[in-house]
Amino acid sequence: MLGNRWLVFGVALVVWAGIFYAMDKSIMETQGLPVGADLMPL
Amino acid sequence: MKTSYLIALIVVFVALLAPEFALAAGDEVSTVLEGAPKPSRLDYPLIAGISARTVAWSMAQMHLFLAAFVLAVPLFAIATEFMSVATGDDRFDNMAREFMKITMAAYSLTALVGGGLLLSLLVFYPHLMGYLIKVFRGQMLIYALLFGLESITLYVYFYSWDALRRGNRKWFHMSIGLLLNTVGLTLMFVANAWASFMMSPAGVDAAGAITGTVWEATRNPLWNPLNLHRFLDNIAYGGAIVGGYAAYMFLAEKDPVKKAHYDWMGYTSNFIAILGFLPLPFAGYWLMAEIYAYSQQMGITAMGGILAWLFIIQAVLIGTIMLAANYYLWSGLMRTDRGAQYAKYVKYIAVVLVGGFLVWVTPHTLILTANEIQTLGGTSHKILGPLGIMPAKNTAVNLMLVMTFLSFQMFYRSSRVPTVSWAKSGNMVVIALYVVGIVNIVGAGMYGYITPTVYKVGASVPQVLSTLMIIIGSVIIDVFMLRGAKAEKVHWGRMSERSQYALFVLPVAFTWLMGLMGYIRSSLRTKWHVYTIMKDNSPENYIPSLGDAGNTITAITLGFMAIMVFVFWLSRLGATKQESRS
Repeated sequence: MLGNRWLVFGVALVVWAGIFYAMDKSIMETQGLPVGADLMPL
Repeated sequence: MKTSYLIALIVVFVALLAPEFALAAGDEVSTVLEGAPKPSRLDYPLIAGISARTVAWSMAQMHLFLAAFVLAVPLFAIATEFMSVATGDDRFDNMAREFMKITMAAYSLTALVGGGLLLSLLVFYPHLMGYLIKVFRGQMLIYALLFGLESITLYVYFYSWDALRRGNRKWFHMSIGLLLNTVGLTLMFVANAWASFMMSPAGVDAAGAITGTVWEATRNPLWNPLNLHRFLDNIAYGGAIVGGYAAYMFLAEKDPVKKAHYDWMGYTSNFIAILGFLPLPFAGYWLMAEIYAYSQQMGITAMGGILAWLFIIQAVLIGTIMLAANYYLWSGLMRTDRGAQYAKYVKYIAVVLVGGFLVWVTPHTLILTANEIQTLGGTSHKILGPLGIMPAKNTAVNLMLVMTFLSFQMFYRSSRVPTVSWAKSGNMVVIALYVVGIVNIVGAGMYGYITPTVYKVGASVPQVLSTLMIIIGSVIIDVFMLRGAKAEKVHWGRMSERSQYALFVLPVAFTWLMGLMGYIRSSLRTKWHVYTIMKDNSPENYIPSLGDAGNTITAITLGFMAIMVFVFWLSRLGATKQESRS
């Protein structure tokens, strides 16, 4: 058992979010597009 | 047995070398710097008022439909055969053989239509064919030889099935299958080289004079994107067609044992079709990106001009494919006793699928009258207009793919009860993966609205990878979580007849879609036989109107479906035996 399943859910959310953020950031930067740059207004 | 090993080794050796021989055939630089021919209008034969373009188009498209099918089926037949060896389950072997049986019936028709295509091209477009033969030289002869080898290996593979069914002989049989597939794929890659050379010529100068090797002409900028797209598409298409066959047999059979067999075959075929289909949008995206990279004008002709409307029709057809495939999977939940507990989630998946479908078919600008434009305040609707741009489309298609995978995962889980102690926690990790992945897909889509175009395009990559990550992550977790799971009985054959019509929808929609997309790809050359190198001066050197193209493609699709029904009927007839005299 890994304890309370809702606790697992919360931890998993945080971990997955971290993984996805790292993935997004590396993909955008590989394309020469810095994340968080001063974006142009529409 | 030692002889068998030796022959198997030779077969594998030849299989590995065949592409080398074919693709680099005649690999010496031509010393004659003669430009591409410049035929005048009078050089195109006019025969009894026949539309040369329509004849060549119909033959090419029909040949492509049949070839895609007969090349794809051996790919998953050998995979299914391998499953029978790996699991020791003869059902896989029987199904693989049945896959091949349908291919056999279609193979001679493929060759027949291929011959018709060659004849129509030589009769109506002799200068173009002469030029292509000069560019590709010996490769064309090797193509003919490979076609012979394909025929031999196909017949040997099918007819030796029962003779080489057990023990080491099975590996020998699979080696023949490997050779068959290698030759088949090489044939496709070679033909793709000719088609992609006409779009993005290489190994020639601006006047069309041959300056490079056959390999340079073969490895033109669009060759590999086209190879990947057609490879995946063939698998999806082949799966859809054998799914149609299984549905036909399911509806025709009365014997419950046979019905169960064809239900299982239909399920497997649908799985193969989805497997090939899931990565297809990404391959299409790559192809289109390479088209833009090669020629922006060509890209804009595809996506920004009159042809752009076909992408709306494409969305309708792909939406139809997804709805049909998902409906079939949902219907499959009734095969297991635990399936009902998943049924309550179907409505939510349906909402996302229909919502995604509607976003995908929403055009950015509308064809309107002057009064309508005045009333609307422009050609773009204030609320719906923003749904017409790519970030919205990308978000919609990725969510639809995720939901399609979820439908499959639900059916897969409905027949397995996990026994590991961490099953509940594992489920939570999977749910969290879905939640974060979906938020990321939607977030990247919204990001596209507040950033310049370059970010918009760039943000589509994380969307694609999020979809793949959800799929791969879920599969990995499920593999561990369902290890040693208690298997529930799957009642194959306990399926509504209505669900089988969803399996019929798939090949029809796929065929139509391939016809439409082929029309776009070919039209991108506009007035050129070979883009910017050899001009088309025939009376039909213009892009046909959408209406005319739609009619032609629909007629070809109907013709192909008629051929398929004939092939299915033929396969059934072959299995029918009259009672003996006594």
